[in-house]
Amino acid sequence: MSDKQGMTVIVKTITRAMLAVIFLYGFYIILHGHLSPGGGFGGGVVLALGFLSVMLAYGRPTVQKWLNIRVLHSIESSGPLLFLAVGLLGLAGGGAFLLNTIGKGRLFDLWSSGFILPLNIIIGVKVGLSLFLAVWALTEWDPEKGDDA
Amino acid sequence: MIIYALCFALFLVGLYGLIVKRDLIKIILASGIMGYAVNLMIVLFGYRREAVYPILEKGKEAAVMVDPLPQALVLTSIVIELGTTAMLAALAIQLYKKYKTFDITKIRRLRG
Repeated sequence: MSDKQGMTVIVKTITRAMLAVIFLYGFYIILHGHLSPGGGFGGGVVLALGFLSVMLAYGRPTVQKWLNIRVLHSIESSGPLLFLAVGLLGLAGGGAFLLNTIGKGRLFDLWSSGFILPLNIIIGVKVGLSLFLAVWALTEWDPEKGDDA
Repeated sequence: MIIYALCFALFLVGLYGLIVKRDLIKIILASGIMGYAVNLMIVLFGYRREAVYPILEKGKEAAVMVDPLPQALVLTSIVIELGTTAMLAALAIQLYKKYKTFDITKIRRLRG
C-alpha cells in the first residue's frame, strides 16, 4: 500500500475497519428486502458506498490493484440478463413472465417469497456495481492533472 | 395544507438556484433539490394521519396503512434522478475539460 495517494492514515484505518461492516449491512438489506424496508436498490447503494469509501480513502490506483474493473463491468452488464432469465423461468413453467415457479416457504421466513429474493440479489449487485462504476468513470479525468492523468 | 406549501417552497428554492446561480455544480445541486421537493410532495400525497408503514410483519396487526403506490413511484423517480444527476455531472466535467471553468457566464464560445 502506497502512502502517498489518498487520505491520511486515520481515514485509511477507519475505512479498513468499517468496510466489512458496510458490506454486511448492504447484504443484510438486500437479503431482507421482502421482509422489512429495503431491498435490492437500497442495499446496492450501501454496497456501492462501501466501494466508494475505499476509493476516496486510498485513491484510484490502489483500487485498480485491488479490484478487477473489467470483471466488475462484466458482472454488472450480466445483471439484466440474469433478471431476464429468472423472468423466463416463469414463462418456461407454463405461466406468465416472472410467474413464481419455486416454492413460497413459510410466511416471514427468509425463504418466503419465491422469486423476489433472487431478483433482489440480482438488482442489488447490479445497482451496487453500476453506481460504483459510474463514479469510477466520472473520476477518470483529474481536473488538477489535466489531460495526462 | 401547509405541508404542501412547504414542499412548493422547497421547489422554489431549487428553481431559484437553477435560475440565479452561475456555478455549474450549484446548478446541478439546485436541480436535485427540485427533484427532492417533488418526491416529498408525491410521498405526502399518500400520507394518512396515524397510519403505519405498508409492510406486514410478524406479530403486527393489520391497521390503517399509508398508500404504498406513491412510495413505489418515488423509488423509481429517485433512480431516474440519480441517472440524470450523473449525466449532468459528466457534462459538467466535459465542459470543465474544454473551458477550465464552471462559471456559465464564461462558457460562451463554441470551440472545436
